[in-house]
Amino acid sequence: MIMRSEIITDIFCPMSVNSIEPVARRSVLALAALAVAITVSACGASGSAARSDSAPGRITAVGAESQYANVISQIGGRYVNATAVMSNPNTDPHSFEASPSVASTVGAAKLIVQNGLGYDSFMNKIEAASPSRSRRVIEVQTLLGLPDSTRNPHLWYDPSTMPKVAAAIVRDLSALAPAHAAYFKANGRRFDATLQPWLRAVASFKRLHAGTPVAVTEPVADYMLQAAGADIRTPWVLQADIMNGVDPAPQDVTLEDNLFKQRRVKVFLYNRQVTNTVTQSFLRLANQDHIPVVGVYETMPAGYSYGSWMLAETRALSAAVTAHRSTNSL
Amino acid sequence: MTRSLHTRTTWTPRSTETAVHALLRAIVEPGFFADGAVQTAAALGGVVAVVAGLIGVFTVIRSQAFAGHALSDIGSAGGSSAYLVGLAPLWGFVGISVLAAAAMERIGVQRARGRDVATGIVLGVGFALASLFLYLGMTYHNGSGEIPTILFGSVFTLSAAELPLVIGLGAVALLVALTLYRPLLLASVSPELAAARGVRVRLVGAAYLLALAITVALCDLTIGAILSTALLVGPAAAALRLTSRPHRAALLAAAISLACTWLGLLLAWDSFYWPPLRHGWPVSFFIVTLVLIVYLAAGALARGRRLRG
Repeated sequence: MIMRSEIITDIFCPMSVNSIEPVARRSVLALAALAVAITVSACGASGSAARSDSAPGRITAVGAESQYANVISQIGGRYVNATAVMSNPNTDPHSFEASPSVASTVGAAKLIVQNGLGYDSFMNKIEAASPSRSRRVIEVQTLLGLPDSTRNPHLWYDPSTMPKVAAAIVRDLSALAPAHAAYFKANGRRFDATLQPWLRAVASFKRLHAGTPVAVTEPVADYMLQAAGADIRTPWVLQADIMNGVDPAPQDVTLEDNLFKQRRVKVFLYNRQVTNTVTQSFLRLANQDHIPVVGVYETMPAGYSYGSWMLAETRALSAAVTAHRSTNSL
Repeated sequence: MTRSLHTRTTWTPRSTETAVHALLRAIVEPGFFADGAVQTAAALGGVVAVVAGLIGVFTVIRSQAFAGHALSDIGSAGGSSAYLVGLAPLWGFVGISVLAAAAMERIGVQRARGRDVATGIVLGVGFALASLFLYLGMTYHNGSGEIPTILFGSVFTLSAAELPLVIGLGAVALLVALTLYRPLLLASVSPELAAARGVRVRLVGAAYLLALAITVALCDLTIGAILSTALLVGPAAAALRLTSRPHRAALLAAAISLACTWLGLLLAWDSFYWPPLRHGWPVSFFIVTLVLIVYLAAGALARGRRLRG
């Protein structure tokens, strides 16, 4: 299996505009316009790195997030060139905006896998700007039949999500290159098999530690925690506020503080990708009160495949509960 | 019948008590005073409010509200650069405000003719820098919520560790204003007369600009870079509508500013229980709205007084 994942690093819109009150939006947009003007000129050099060099005979595919690109390349193997749009675990994916180079990569793709639920809505804009009849788009939200009101967009943490995505990728790649259908199908089966250790780890956690109280900063790993039977004690609104980059209410912050101070949780899952003064103070409290910390990621960290990444997160959760061990970063 | 009468007589005082209690609970939701974030916000916001009220009176007398606004907007560049290098935003706010004040002084903020132009130019550069720093910060840091924090403040997320620094900076600003009180007042009202009396008008103006820069930086911390002029100018302007004596106006402005800040904190706390439920409204919104209400009320009061007198 060859994995060609060109990393696109020029992320240029710094603000998550949705999260700010409408009054503020105009001034933020004014700032954004300035930022665009500056960065378009400053990032010209790095932008060319995103040019997709499609080897002849290969299907060009794009995963909006690196985990989806990883699944595409595991299934497409030598017949597919998969590129990830968001693959930098050091930035907040929620505030990502596409640059012109991303637009050209996406425009050339024959297969696109994107998350939906507003997590990567810039993909829809780019696709609309470069219409193509032969392009196939798998939106995971649509694939799973989830309504727009679904609160938690981090669908890839749900153990039942990726097998369905993989099946859709097998189907679409087979339609794009019928000659290799058997090859894609075999890779799809192999992919499902690579998930087995993770699924077993989740099931065993549920069997041994169901009801374990945990605290989180954001709903990043919530689907996995729910599958593992953990009891998420952090109020949803606090998780959503941190995810959306708005100030949480002091009442909710105090509630979370008390989860640590009164040791009412056994593990603290901390989103490494989005931190601010509030999450940092939670981290400090958790460390003070000797509550093991598990660092979680929204975008697949380097050196992992989707299955090994999920397994590592679940093992870190188990280690926190059984051995009282922190896994600050993967 | 007797029983019901009996229960009624014993119930009346207690139900009044519960009604009062319920009202108090409705205003000061349980836990307001005990909450750590509220205590820190009240202490920090209180210090900032008093300094802003006192210094703001001179800003209004000297007609430097626009300069103050420019300094606070430029603060966004400071806050974002501090975030970029991993410092507390306050350092950035203070550093950039003092630098910008120096730049404005050099370009000629003291001459009435050059003032708006100098201020406008420095203001534009400040926003340009803020856009660059925010972009770089968002690209290379894994953060969230910096933009609302820097532009609109988030006093409930401040740490108590910042209190000594805030008090120290506030003391410096007040010390400058107190030391220069008389010459500053004279130079503000009539620069020509002050110069004739031997006051070094430019030096006094520059020292005042330093105090203003520090005050603005402190306001940036509580209600954000965009809104901070409201706290600086609003209470002072309201106070000057009610009294023309500078020292009285300064004290009154400090009181108004403190009241608006603390009441703003309380309303923000209570808004947790308003729709959308469990989402507190931003503190800055309440503080700035209260300042406007006081300013309008002071205008009405002053008009009423003129009509009667």
